[in-house]
Amino acid sequence: MSTINDTEMIIEAVLFAAGDPVPLEKLAEIIEQDKKTTRGILTNMQYKYQHASRGIMLRELDGAWQLCTKPELDPYISRLGPARKKQGLTPAAYETLAIIAYNQPVTRAYIEQIRGVNSDSVIMKLMERNLIREAGRDDAPGRPKLYETTEEFLRVFGFSSLKDLPPLEMNEIPEVVEKMPVD
Amino acid sequence: MKSALTDACTLRLNNFEGPFDLLFYLIEKNKIDIYDIPIFEITEQYMAYLTAMQEMDLEIASEFLVMAATLLHIKSCMLLPRREEAAAEELDPREELVLKLVTYKKYKEFSQILKDRESYWEKAHYKLPEAIPVIQQEEELEVSPLILRQCMVDVLNRSRERMNDVSRKMQRILDHEKVSLRTKIREILGLLAKGMRFCFSRIFSPLTRSRIEIATGFLALLEVVKIGRAEVDQPVAFGEIYVTPRKPEKKKDNHDIGEGSGEP
Repeated sequence: MSTINDTEMIIEAVLFAAGDPVPLEKLAEIIEQDKKTTRGILTNMQYKYQHASRGIMLRELDGAWQLCTKPELDPYISRLGPARKKQGLTPAAYETLAIIAYNQPVTRAYIEQIRGVNSDSVIMKLMERNLIREAGRDDAPGRPKLYETTEEFLRVFGFSSLKDLPPLEMNEIPEVVEKMPVD
Repeated sequence: MKSALTDACTLRLNNFEGPFDLLFYLIEKNKIDIYDIPIFEITEQYMAYLTAMQEMDLEIASEFLVMAATLLHIKSCMLLPRREEAAAEELDPREELVLKLVTYKKYKEFSQILKDRESYWEKAHYKLPEAIPVIQQEEELEVSPLILRQCMVDVLNRSRERMNDVSRKMQRILDHEKVSLRTKIREILGLLAKGMRFCFSRIFSPLTRSRIEIATGFLALLEVVKIGRAEVDQPVAFGEIYVTPRKPEKKKDNHDIGEGSGEP
């Protein structure tokens, strides 16, 4: 039987080697504990990383766990070498992503109703960036494709899960959306 | 007419994501309460933008025209005189547009939040996964030293026979034609008739056996098993094969043996 510190050591090593997010189930299997206990250990570790003078933090992404550097330390990390500047998203892409995030899985028609413009190319771009993916088809006539956000979405925008999305205060909205004509 | 308005358009035109975006810009610019849009002014300004776009020979997306039509429709609805008693029940013609605008605004606000969060979280750095080498787990065979010893003794015996008996090589060539499947089957059936369990290796004399004889013997054994006269069992891979007699099924018996061995 290993002590808590041993377990934390094991998890830290595994997550470091894995690089990618490791699902909770897998971690539980590795340290031979049940999922609830494992989750407790991880949350505890997360707290420790956050509040100790550590350069690493522990992130939860849709039930999987990953190590990354603390964003505050970026200025130092960028001294390592020239920074790769990622191409930012267009305002249209953020808009579309916002609609998908709150209504997923969602059809293109629905997105376009809210935005009031054709969103074909924006959706393509978001797919290319791996921020959204297809999620089957709707039962509606024409069986339109449905879209949902990805783990990458959570990572890029710093959410642990979709439950993390700030509440959208709009009580009157659902009714309105139904009333909108489908073009 | 070159006005301040057209100048503003030149700068902003391409930045509008759609008609809602343009409407918002106008509402914010005029500091209008979204729930009480002065539809006349807004329609006028909106149309001015579209005209400006046309003057600059820009292609106007159809969505902008649809919105123009909607605005004009609302405007005309509001111009119509309303009966006093019906006024209370009637929906404000602006309502649908307003609700759409409010919905759109919520998402637009959230998209700003997304943008802010992104600029913070893109500063977190991740490590690429390690290529963890897959170590092939070999199956552990548990072998007692006695078996290993026996194997070694067998190997030594065989090689000694081979080394010492050069004449056997000649003999083997001469014997070659003598080994036939039919004889071997007959031999095995003869052993089986005694009703005893025996080892496959025992059906060959250690001095005379040749590779071809063993191969033929094996084929013969398979034939015997096929016709149901024996059962074979090999507890260890590459180990000894044990042959156990089985009672023949009477009906098939003669026919199958006849075919296999060529006997009447």
